[in-house]
Amino acid sequence: MADLFLAYQSLFAFVGINALLALSVYATLCCGQLSLANAGFMALGAYTGALITLRAPSVPFLFVLAAAALVPALVAVPLGLPVLRLRGVFLAIATVGFGEVVRLFFVNWQFTNGAMGLVAIPQRTQLWTIALALAVALFALGRLHGSRTGYALEAIREDETAARTMGIYTTGHKLAMLAAGAALAGLAGGLEAHFTFMVAPNGYGFGRVVEMLVQAVVGGTAAFYGPAVGAAFLTVLPEALREAGARLGLAPGPFRLLLNGAILLAVILYLPNGLVSLPATFRRRARRPA
Amino acid sequence: MSVARRWSLPLLLLLVSAACKKEEAQPVAASPAGGGAVIGAALSLTGPAAVYGAQQRAGIQAAVEEVNARGGAKLSVIVEDDASTKEQGITVFQKFINRDKVSAIIGPTLSNTASAADPLAQAAQVPVLAISNTAATGITDIGNYIWRDSLMEAQVIPGAFKKAQEKLHFKTAGVLYGNDDVFTKAGYDVMQKALQDLGVKVLGTQTFAKPDRDYNAQLTELTAAKPDVLVVSALADNAAAIVSQARQRGWTGPILGGNGFNSPAFIKNAGAAAEGVMVGTSWNSSSQEPANQKFLANLKKAGVNPDQFSAQAYTGVLILAEAIQQSGGKTGRADIEAGLGKVKDLDTPLGKFSFTPSRDAQHEPSVQQVKDGKFQIVQ
Amino acid sequence: MGQQVLNGIFLGSIYALFAVGYTLVFGVLDILNLAHQAVFMLAAFVALALVADAHLPLWVALPAAVLAGGLIGIVLERIAFRPLRGRSDSNISGLISSLAMATVFEAIALEIFGPDTSRFPQGTFPDRVVRLGGATASLLQLCIVGISVLLMALLTLLLGRTRLGRQIRAVAESPRAARILGVNVDRAIAFAFFLSSALGGAAGVLFGLAFNSISPDVGRGVELKGLAVIILGGMGSVPGAVMAGFALGLVEVFTVARLGSSFRDVVSFAVLFLVLIARPRGLFGRAAAREA
Repeated sequence: MADLFLAYQSLFAFVGINALLALSVYATLCCGQLSLANAGFMALGAYTGALITLRAPSVPFLFVLAAAALVPALVAVPLGLPVLRLRGVFLAIATVGFGEVVRLFFVNWQFTNGAMGLVAIPQRTQLWTIALALAVALFALGRLHGSRTGYALEAIREDETAARTMGIYTTGHKLAMLAAGAALAGLAGGLEAHFTFMVAPNGYGFGRVVEMLVQAVVGGTAAFYGPAVGAAFLTVLPEALREAGARLGLAPGPFRLLLNGAILLAVILYLPNGLVSLPATFRRRARRPA
Repeated sequence: MSVARRWSLPLLLLLVSAACKKEEAQPVAASPAGGGAVIGAALSLTGPAAVYGAQQRAGIQAAVEEVNARGGAKLSVIVEDDASTKEQGITVFQKFINRDKVSAIIGPTLSNTASAADPLAQAAQVPVLAISNTAATGITDIGNYIWRDSLMEAQVIPGAFKKAQEKLHFKTAGVLYGNDDVFTKAGYDVMQKALQDLGVKVLGTQTFAKPDRDYNAQLTELTAAKPDVLVVSALADNAAAIVSQARQRGWTGPILGGNGFNSPAFIKNAGAAAEGVMVGTSWNSSSQEPANQKFLANLKKAGVNPDQFSAQAYTGVLILAEAIQQSGGKTGRADIEAGLGKVKDLDTPLGKFSFTPSRDAQHEPSVQQVKDGKFQIVQ
Repeated sequence: MGQQVLNGIFLGSIYALFAVGYTLVFGVLDILNLAHQAVFMLAAFVALALVADAHLPLWVALPAAVLAGGLIGIVLERIAFRPLRGRSDSNISGLISSLAMATVFEAIALEIFGPDTSRFPQGTFPDRVVRLGGATASLLQLCIVGISVLLMALLTLLLGRTRLGRQIRAVAESPRAARILGVNVDRAIAFAFFLSSALGGAAGVLFGLAFNSISPDVGRGVELKGLAVIILGGMGSVPGAVMAGFALGLVEVFTVARLGSSFRDVVSFAVLFLVLIARPRGLFGRAAAREA
């Protein structure tokens, strides 16, 4: 049993980190903004944390993580001011551009060894660190849910112009959520850097932020814990498919990729409100007359 | 249900089952009769490094067959895909170490994945033999359980460039390298220093990214300065396109490449443009040594084009088998670890192989040139 | 200098052809089709299989592959986009379902063709070089530019002069109004996808010919550049995509020439960013890009 836990210890850790990342995307989604900059924010957090640990090893881990969360949040503000005026897919594309620029910056920056990244980072992250961070994030987002700020965010999501007319400071709220999402992504980046011993630019590209978005949406954005559920499901899925494949005698290869895509498609098509809406769907089906 | 929804599910199932059918035809890795060592192979079978992972798998499987046919301790290999990501690399390593309880791990394909996953094996005291990690730091310096049979660029390039200069007498160079991949960036760092040490003046340096396919802009700039030689650090796919486009741009001068060029895929895709390209490589494909000839034959039997990645993977299995033999046929983790330290002058497709004191690879690199569509040794 | 201009035009023609399909679907459905690059890649493989395995000449394989691309587009629309029509979050869910299809397509290509990079066999296209002033261009490059321009002109003609083209534009303007006016909206959208994917497929085949590189991940490099192009040109505008494609090709090439190749991709995204901040509509776009 202990061996089983050891074998999948890293999987639990990645579930937690991905949950934080999915929640960081949710932070902006819940006020109706699709921001895809979070891979860039994650990179900023990861490199900040790694640089501090490698250059100043005596700094306590808590401060390192705080810096990892703070730097991206600070960057998010000047980014958000011009960019949050854009609607829908334009905002998404602008933020994708930002994310790519961050990645390319790290690829070209010799100080951090460019493509080779920073290695031999001591493993300061433990499972409980990730669990604690996730619990705090979920708690904060959960509290937001029924609060006045939460209602303001919902109003902005439903109809931004109306919300502004009602006196809600839309720009401030959107900016705050962008910064919050950036902080979450940076925190996740810092945690991951100190778990996987290294950081390198190619882990923070377009593919990464798409993963985060997919996990958030598949989990369901109606509930604040939805993205965490989605992250857990989609992080475990490739490993479950690996097991299934081994038992069925299938050789490892593109088949897992195909199934991943097919399952994602099925969820999007048939479960529009994500996995968290499953219990409600079952209840509805059960109540229908035979 | 609308027409669309009615059709989409069957169509989807059709797609999935079409892919299913193809997959079942593939064989699984060989299983041992009983006893023997279990080796975990962490390879990138999907994702950007899939090309190399596939070659490595072929090399490993061929070598395992060869070793098991010889007698002595039997080897069985579990192959897992890390999807070219460090996360899955870590998960695969943990599975190998804690669930499959392997005696040793071979791989992973990418240096980035290695610097993330190898520390786990080091902590668990499981020997890891890297077969394609060429980063100068961050691999064997993780700890004494990490070994590698892939020569670093620093062991190959300086000698190759010196020989090339003896033949071609170049004084100026234009350099093109991939800056977003560890393999090619590490190669470039070494090439730059080698050129400097040889007193060659670099007239221009350009970069490209791995997904790029169009190099016309960079090549136009580099060739405009009229250097004596074009130096390229690229992986096989990019290399083929670069060389083709260079010739199309009208570059008739010599081209000097690094380890990444050493693949039949390079010659196949570059076609006539590959003629005359000189390459510093860690695998002499035309070596007549029996170990190499056997490797070539085995791979041909499996229907796979032999290349450097499969050669290094094949050698990795031979090294592990030798390590077991050196510790008297015992297949535990500590036994293999001790045995690896005793491997000396082993006959492999790469030549006579030993480890350096820092557990890096040591064998004679070679300089090759493409002549008549084949790699030939430059004497 | 002249050589770089030629390089830019050459690269730009392929960007433009790719982006035109991208922007067409956005104009009609308001959805970003992230599977476009997968169709780009699959059509290249179809052409390769026809030339290398079935030994068909290029002038047969190219139209066949373009047709195949169009058909894949219809399948794509049926499976991934039609079921989502009418949903309130169709932009995001459309994005994700197209992404899922892209993954599926890539896995299929990996399964059938393997991860290796292939090229068209030698002699698929005659190997001749043409001199223009001080610069050289291969016959292949000139043909590619020519074919791209021809296809884009055909599309513009189709959209402007034929009934189906008018129907597509009507649906782009307002699906509801179009339906009231008797347009078969489903058919118009399917046809738009056919056109978009056929052009994307053509771009893929030409790309494979131009750069001797066909692999299951070949679409990824072009995908993000395509985004920059349609933003610069204006979402939904076909002439915008054409001009922006050529513009971006030239900008990239001259960035390499003047600043160095490390800045090449950065400049594309910087352009994207600046356009979105200063003039989100792009050069010719009509879609509202700002809230206020």
